[in-house]
Amino acid sequence: MLRLGTRKLLDRSFTGMGVLSIVLLAAALLILLAPICLRGISAYVFQGTVEFRRVALEKFQRGDREELKREQAAAARARQPVFAALAAFKKDLDAMPFAERKKYKTDFAAVQDAVKDLLGPLPGEEAPLLMRSQYGQTRWDRAQVKIQQVLFAEDYDFSGGGLGRKVLKPRLEKFRGTKLEPLFAAIEKNASEMLRPQWTFYGRFLTDASHDAHFFGGIGPEVLGTLYLTLGAILFAVPMGVIAAIYLVEYARENRLVRVLRVCISTLAGVPSIVFGLFGLAFFINAAHLSENKSVLAGSLTLGLLILPTIIRASEEALRAVPATYKQAALSLGAGQWHAVRSVILPAALPGILTGVIISMGRAAGETAPIIFTAAVSVGKPLTLLQTFTQPTPALPWNIYNLCSEHVAVDEIRHVQYGMVFSLVLLVLLLNLAAIIVRARISRKLRT
Amino acid sequence: MLSRAANRNQRLARLLGEGFLLLVTSLSMLAVVFILIFIARDAFPFFTSWERVREFFGSVAWYPTRQPAEFGALSILFGSALVTLGAALVAIPLGLAAAVCLSDVLPFHIRQYVKPVVEMLAAIPSVAYGFFALVVFAPALQERGGPMLAWAFWLVLTPIVFLTVLVVSDLAAARLAEKVRTVARAVVFAALAALAGWLLWKTGRLLYGLEISSGTNALNAALILGLMALPTMVSVAEDALQATGRDLRMASYALGATRAETLIKVVIPAAGSGILAAGILAIMRAVGETMVVWMASGNAARIPEPWFNFLDPVRTLTATIAGDMGEADQSAGSAHYHVLFAMALVLLVFSLVCNLVSEHMLARTRRRLR
Repeated sequence: MLRLGTRKLLDRSFTGMGVLSIVLLAAALLILLAPICLRGISAYVFQGTVEFRRVALEKFQRGDREELKREQAAAARARQPVFAALAAFKKDLDAMPFAERKKYKTDFAAVQDAVKDLLGPLPGEEAPLLMRSQYGQTRWDRAQVKIQQVLFAEDYDFSGGGLGRKVLKPRLEKFRGTKLEPLFAAIEKNASEMLRPQWTFYGRFLTDASHDAHFFGGIGPEVLGTLYLTLGAILFAVPMGVIAAIYLVEYARENRLVRVLRVCISTLAGVPSIVFGLFGLAFFINAAHLSENKSVLAGSLTLGLLILPTIIRASEEALRAVPATYKQAALSLGAGQWHAVRSVILPAALPGILTGVIISMGRAAGETAPIIFTAAVSVGKPLTLLQTFTQPTPALPWNIYNLCSEHVAVDEIRHVQYGMVFSLVLLVLLLNLAAIIVRARISRKLRT
Repeated sequence: MLSRAANRNQRLARLLGEGFLLLVTSLSMLAVVFILIFIARDAFPFFTSWERVREFFGSVAWYPTRQPAEFGALSILFGSALVTLGAALVAIPLGLAAAVCLSDVLPFHIRQYVKPVVEMLAAIPSVAYGFFALVVFAPALQERGGPMLAWAFWLVLTPIVFLTVLVVSDLAAARLAEKVRTVARAVVFAALAALAGWLLWKTGRLLYGLEISSGTNALNAALILGLMALPTMVSVAEDALQATGRDLRMASYALGATRAETLIKVVIPAAGSGILAAGILAIMRAVGETMVVWMASGNAARIPEPWFNFLDPVRTLTATIAGDMGEADQSAGSAHYHVLFAMALVLLVFSLVCNLVSEHMLARTRRRLR
């Protein structure tokens, strides 16, 4: 037998554990959302450099040409000492005997590359092919990383043993006494004059096309693709789902067929999303030849099947929640079954159905696995409505994966990745918020 | 008065209408059947001989692009199982505790604010979880994994261990004579507590010194998957707990049981099959999840050394399908293409069985409570 005191203590700690688990849940949500929101916002609001404004003008025709010209002239004046030091040292380097040149060669190349990364191509140089080398850093936070790379060389210290510790060595020491020396001081002191950072609100990030594998521009094609896929899925699944729910609630008698149907609906809900993707590939594309290859149509249909059970269940619940008196009143006034459903029961259940539809929309927008083989490509132009029947599209969830694990320079475009995740999560959570509000209004209406 | 013909027409129209509704409703049945047929149709060409079946389920050699190719999926099946086990260890206890708290402990006005938290966790897209696992959690695990694990270990186990020690010392002392009971209890408690504390400290220190070579491993995937499976667990288990009704609880209180005793000994057993169904649904969610495991599990097709080493990278069925389908020749129908469908078939069959079991469990709860 336990003592009463122990029993009480156990009771309290049981309660405590329950509360703790809830706190943990909330904390997990917070830990998950905090970095996504904080760093995601920085895709929209950040310190843009003069290079950013150059891209905006040259690629998107936005901004004031004259103003930019003045700014560029000022920036060029600030950059002049850097380029002069590079040119002077290069001349010296070419004149050096071979043994001495060897000492500087790789380090000089590293400095030159880092400066090019920071400020764009050197004056007089032929325009590079890749767009990312035609411009300097467009964001001040990225520029600061690049400044570090100009000033310090990364090295590993193996004295401690094991994997080694990363240490930063100032490049200045290597070049002390040469003509390159003033470059380091200039970059350290005058970088902000060279790049002229300014707080920028880049709202068009959401709709702009991207350039050069997302190094520049926004996420417009992805957002549009996600909208197409979601709306397509809804257009397919909502009529089917609502009709099925009406049948199950209003017409079906409890027989074997209906029981099997119910089991099938819950089975469909349990099928893993990647299996839906394979099915979409095998059926819609390889067997039914809806389109030559991946297309928005095939993707939307696959997503539609995926959200069908959710919509059926939500609609069923909403239809069952309509008080029986409504139907009885309608029938007693001489309405037929179908008439009663159409004019009385369905309108009454509409807000509930809407909640289910909104939540399913969020689900369809965020699902990745079903569209990998049926609809999504990494790079693509925004589609017109007609093209959606035959062409694949970039989409937010797929491109988030693609950019953070298959991109050539994952670290350089973190802000775009965070911006995408933030936009997607925001979209989904706003849809859910809408659903919560609709539901709250229903329950208020039912209470009065 | 309707004429006979009009009456017949009306009945015909109703029958047709109802038939149409039934047709649309059976679309989901059709979908299930078609999914089964089309996955199986592309999976069976892989199993051309018994050798292939044995290789698939019994070998760990996964070299799909080598000549000749080898398709041993055992390590991949194991990877799925390991990650799912980890996710279940996170989601089921935590989810059950949260469900109990939601249904029995928290007052209504607080519950209102907790429900949206659970709903938000369920709504966040899996790719966002995967992104978090890969970009935020993996580097943190790699740099400060040891201390993180040690603190989590201490925080979770210390209260549980000390409560156990308290109960054990209470039970042990209860057998003794009245006179020595208090002293004996204190002695047993002190001895056991010291032992448990020492063990906790030593194991924790061991974890503290751990160096994790890669942040993308089975642990990372399992934790995040567990978090994703939590909402399913919480909402289904809560429904099951609520369905047991007030009478049962009142009867237990009347017998002098505390709330914890009522819940553990009466309510949870009564809702047992519903809770089991919730666990199965949570496991299904974890098995079928793609993006998180693809991004966070490290994708190495080998069995960890030793088998329970969660700090090794693993590869799962879903991640293999997602990652390899691009390389496998899609239209030509190579063996690589078919083996991926075979994996999908394994997943599909698993989820079908799980679903039937959980349906059965839920139906049983409903029946019994009626």
